[in-house]
Amino acid sequence: MQASPLAHHFESLEKQAHAARLGMWVFLATEVLLFTALFAAYGVYRFLYPEAFAASSRAIETSFGLVNTVVLVSSSFTVAAGLDAATRGKGRRTAALFGLSVLAGVVFLALKYVEYSHHFHEHQLPGRYYGYEAIQAPGVQIFWALYFLITGLHGIHVIIGMTVLTVIGIRAYLGAYSPAYYVPVELAGLYWHLVDLIWIFVFPLIYLI
Amino acid sequence: MAEEHVAHAEDERLRHSHLRRYAAVWFALICFTFLTWAVARLHLPGGWAVTVALTVACVKGSLVALFFMHLWDQQGANRLVFVTSLVFVALLVGLTVADNATRFPLANPPGTLGALPQGGADRDPPALP
Repeated sequence: MQASPLAHHFESLEKQAHAARLGMWVFLATEVLLFTALFAAYGVYRFLYPEAFAASSRAIETSFGLVNTVVLVSSSFTVAAGLDAATRGKGRRTAALFGLSVLAGVVFLALKYVEYSHHFHEHQLPGRYYGYEAIQAPGVQIFWALYFLITGLHGIHVIIGMTVLTVIGIRAYLGAYSPAYYVPVELAGLYWHLVDLIWIFVFPLIYLI
Repeated sequence: MAEEHVAHAEDERLRHSHLRRYAAVWFALICFTFLTWAVARLHLPGGWAVTVALTVACVKGSLVALFFMHLWDQQGANRLVFVTSLVFVALLVGLTVADNATRFPLANPPGTLGALPQGGADRDPPALP
């Protein structure tokens, strides 16, 4: 029988879980503001260079963004289902569902790789590396700088989320969690849902408008 | 103690299976995704396209935050933290864009929307006393 996960400075496991969730939410708030800084830059430069931004957005293949959105939303569903299984002590099912989410992450990154390859090939690059003849308007280099910054930072978060889900998934498979203690599964899920939440806003801003 | 009650209630609500709820939310999210994509293809005039797209994104985001992230059935503290972050999102993006939007035109980069029009201002400078 494993040692109780209750740390000595908490009165009860429930209070420890409550503190863990609150702490995670504070961290998620900081992540939201991290991306908001980039969205603020996007907002300012979209205001200043509306034609360049609209034209560049139209030059991006929307279907990639659409598929990636469906992929991430579905992976959020499997993570939520994985947490549901963990609350009922089904660690192996949690691991399988988290595995599906990690697979969805791989698909997401693969599609982004295809997209990035296309951008590099067409010289749709930030700043002085821009060379896409079809759209030559002031501000277009800034669009592509923001595009790679936002999607790149989001991609890094996808990789971090996949790592977290893998670690927690393996521990769930090995029976580390139970109906009495599943907070790590919950927190891992929260991070992945945040990654999805951020993409839900990236998708329209980059691909649709 | 109030804290004991909060922690216990928070824990209890997570225990019942919510799988059907998650499936319903997932289906709604997929529908909204296709909706926003379809509306984008209509190419609504400038301001409307952005407004509709961001509104749908907010609805989708709310669904994820409330149900997948369990804010719907959690106590105040976590909700307060998240809503506070949204307030700061509005401040950061709103005030920064409003800055550029309300500047004296020469203070914006030349050739941009908020700057002096090409060919100069459309009125004579004010007469000096």
